[in-house]
Amino acid sequence: MPPRAPNIAACTIALTLSTALPAQRAPNPFTTNAGEWPSYTGDTRGSRYSPLAQINASNFSTLEVAWRYKTDSLGPRPEFKLEGTPLMVRGVLYATGGTSRAVVALDAATGAQRWVHREEEGERGAAAVRPLSGRGLAYWSNGTDERILYVTPGYRLIALDAKTGNRIPGFGTDGMVDLKTDIDQEILPDLVTGEIGFQGAPVVGRDVIVIGAAFKEGTAPKSMRNNKGYVRGFDVRTGKRLWTFHTIPKKGEPGYESWLNGSAEYTGNTGVWTQLTIDEELGLVYLPVESPTGDYYGGHRPGNDLYGESVVCLDLKTGLKKWHYQIVHHPIWDFDLSAAPILADVTVAGKAVKAVALPTKQGILYVFDRVTGKPVWPIEEKAVEQGTVPGEWYSPTQPIPTKPAAYAKNGTSLDDLIDFTPELHAQAVAIASRYKLGPIFTPPVVSKAEGPIATLTRGPTNGGTNWPGGAYDPESHTVYVAASNAAPAVIGLVQPTKDRSDMDWVTGIAPAAGGGRGGGGLSVQGLSIFKPPYGTLSAIDLDKGEIAWQVAHGETPDAVRDHEALKGMTIPRTGQPGFIVGTLVTKSLVIAGDPQVTTLPNRPRGAMLRAYDKRSGAQVGEVLLPAPTSGSPMTYSVNGRQYIVVAVSGGPYSGEYIALRLPAGTH
Amino acid sequence: MMPRVFAASLIVALIPVVSVVPLLAWGAEPRALDVRAERTVWDSVYTAAQASRGETLYVKSCARCHQVSLAGADESPPLTGGAFMGNWSGLPLADLQNRIRTTMPSDSVGIYNRQLVTDVMAYLLKANGFPAGATELPTDTEALRGIMMRASRP
Ligand code: HEC
Repeated sequence: MPPRAPNIAACTIALTLSTALPAQRAPNPFTTNAGEWPSYTGDTRGSRYSPLAQINASNFSTLEVAWRYKTDSLGPRPEFKLEGTPLMVRGVLYATGGTSRAVVALDAATGAQRWVHREEEGERGAAAVRPLSGRGLAYWSNGTDERILYVTPGYRLIALDAKTGNRIPGFGTDGMVDLKTDIDQEILPDLVTGEIGFQGAPVVGRDVIVIGAAFKEGTAPKSMRNNKGYVRGFDVRTGKRLWTFHTIPKKGEPGYESWLNGSAEYTGNTGVWTQLTIDEELGLVYLPVESPTGDYYGGHRPGNDLYGESVVCLDLKTGLKKWHYQIVHHPIWDFDLSAAPILADVTVAGKAVKAVALPTKQGILYVFDRVTGKPVWPIEEKAVEQGTVPGEWYSPTQPIPTKPAAYAKNGTSLDDLIDFTPELHAQAVAIASRYKLGPIFTPPVVSKAEGPIATLTRGPTNGGTNWPGGAYDPESHTVYVAASNAAPAVIGLVQPTKDRSDMDWVTGIAPAAGGGRGGGGLSVQGLSIFKPPYGTLSAIDLDKGEIAWQVAHGETPDAVRDHEALKGMTIPRTGQPGFIVGTLVTKSLVIAGDPQVTTLPNRPRGAMLRAYDKRSGAQVGEVLLPAPTSGSPMTYSVNGRQYIVVAVSGGPYSGEYIALRLPAGTH
Repeated sequence: MMPRVFAASLIVALIPVVSVVPLLAWGAEPRALDVRAERTVWDSVYTAAQASRGETLYVKSCARCHQVSLAGADESPPLTGGAFMGNWSGLPLADLQNRIRTTMPSDSVGIYNRQLVTDVMAYLLKANGFPAGATELPTDTEALRGIMMRASRP
């Protein structure tokens, strides 16, 4: 398909059409179909899909830098973790950047800066639980009025005029809504330091902005009590709060009984820190909810703990619950629902199904009918191991889908350990023997110096799929998702001193465990303790519920390629561990960056951005970037040319947006 | 157009910027390839006592985010293993020192002096399996420019 050059014309048509529809059904007039990228995932459906086709298998490797935008000066110091995905509407690119989360508008063709907006939040910004530049923005327009919406590190919702970058006077108080207020609870201890925030992009549908809530990392909380991560809807015109959904039910609300001993009263967290997804047509919003307080110990919140680690579907206008499904009962593995739910209209056994699919840290894609909440393929409650941590409450079963099969490794066994050579394997076995191994849902253990030091895992925290989520191709009904297989994490529990925490157990390692401490204790001669592939990219056919293809994603790490013990061996591409791998799907390609830097004999240090044939998984192109892609890529077309923009940063390389396009004269 | 080695045009476009802008910004100069044997983290560049001081600081000030295991968590990256080594391998330790000194701990940047930062680096080297020796890792950034992180023994 030729690129859609005249965006303005396309917009005008879309606008005319939308005014003809009943007001509340008016979809966002700007779409990826017109070569734009008006929402964090392209649309509000978690798709990351664009039908653009100018950049394809034949030319991907010739991509050049069109422009680059360094974010160093947007905040008080350079940032090394630029996670944003920009938006592009009407030839203007909007992005977040800088350590205090500024918003910039750039000319999408040249990268020239149009305006910068930054809030000075002082102590409240410094106390942010989710600091830095965040993941992005939302765009809204009624045809004339154009707005950019974002949440500051200090948890304020800001509405800007997209043309000027100035706050919109009629929205909240002078363009700002204080998200720490009007939230059906008092945020403690005070508005400045009160623990709650959000670094995701807001999502807007049917004139409703939906905002989640995030907290500090919960591996070793100071207290079993915390603020609660309620999710709220706001009127995009006025900033007025429309509804609040209690992710931890209040007394009298259904679900309250799933918190035994009244623990719903004081338990907190249970927010939505990742991207929310909206079905504009059905008027529904999907909440991927995180863990309750205490990632790995739930003894202070016995019971299933609804809506911890559940997907919840709400009516967008009222915030009333339509359905929910708890993915993990009584969460004690930090299996937060980490990725934007993906909406997919599929055909299963000849029947049209409106589905929602959730990529997860456990490397399982959970698929539901998004209208009814019923699993598309049966999900079975399977008996799981009951742990032995004093005071813990264990769910006897956990839901395991029959289809699709897990797309990432999510358990550990001796068979999974490195076996390039018998010597390496023997060393790995010796290390692993000090830990508890087991399949997914093997419970955490009390850390003992004599062993087990901890449960050895690769699911929680940094395995499987995290916030970059997946992508969905509406043509082939396929989900594309990257996964990390080999970032080992150990879960041991220790008793904290009373000044550290009022919890009975928090994450830690028995001090006398010696060699077990430090990841060095888990790597084998500098190599991963696990067998490759360390990271994968999978295509999952949602009509069949089957993995269509899976490839190792990421260059073989230097540590493997240059290893003394492996000299002379032919090792197929291992892929790389790392969860910051966002996928983008176009007419013919799936595009994803390497999460790690490598140096090859024929090229300098850098990280590849790769293109795969979306039907076969064959790699069809690659370009070298100076640092790993640290945010999900996006694409758009202006003046007849297709661009791909990626955020890169990490290690010593500070944040930068890089725009790529084909060389002049070749598009 | 540049010859079609893969992505040749992009690499060419990037190299000048990669080697000049970020390094200048952080006070390092571009490095010419040096044919003499380089000093690396495999040459026993820290002492066990220094690593143990570093460990104490790590447990007190870094572990709440990066975890005692150094494996990281949702927001904080791992300080061991492939991703960490990928980020720093092939670069002088001065870069890592600058990075820690100017951005960590991320919620109270700049509270540790060069000595403490360097001690913590010694601990990170130990935890990543590099050998200890008889001399301490120097605190002086210029001196650290002469020691390379290398994922594999050269
Ligand atoms: C409050 C949480 C927190 C604390 C405490 C903290 N860090 Fe970090 N660290 C982070 C986060 C988040 C990042 C990634 C974002 C960034 O670089 O700002 C990071 C990144 C790093 C990196 C870069 C890793 C890479 O490969 O890119 C290093 C090195 C590091 N931290 C070392 C330390 C050391 C040493 C300490 C203790 C003195 C420490 N950190 C304390 C949160 C923390």
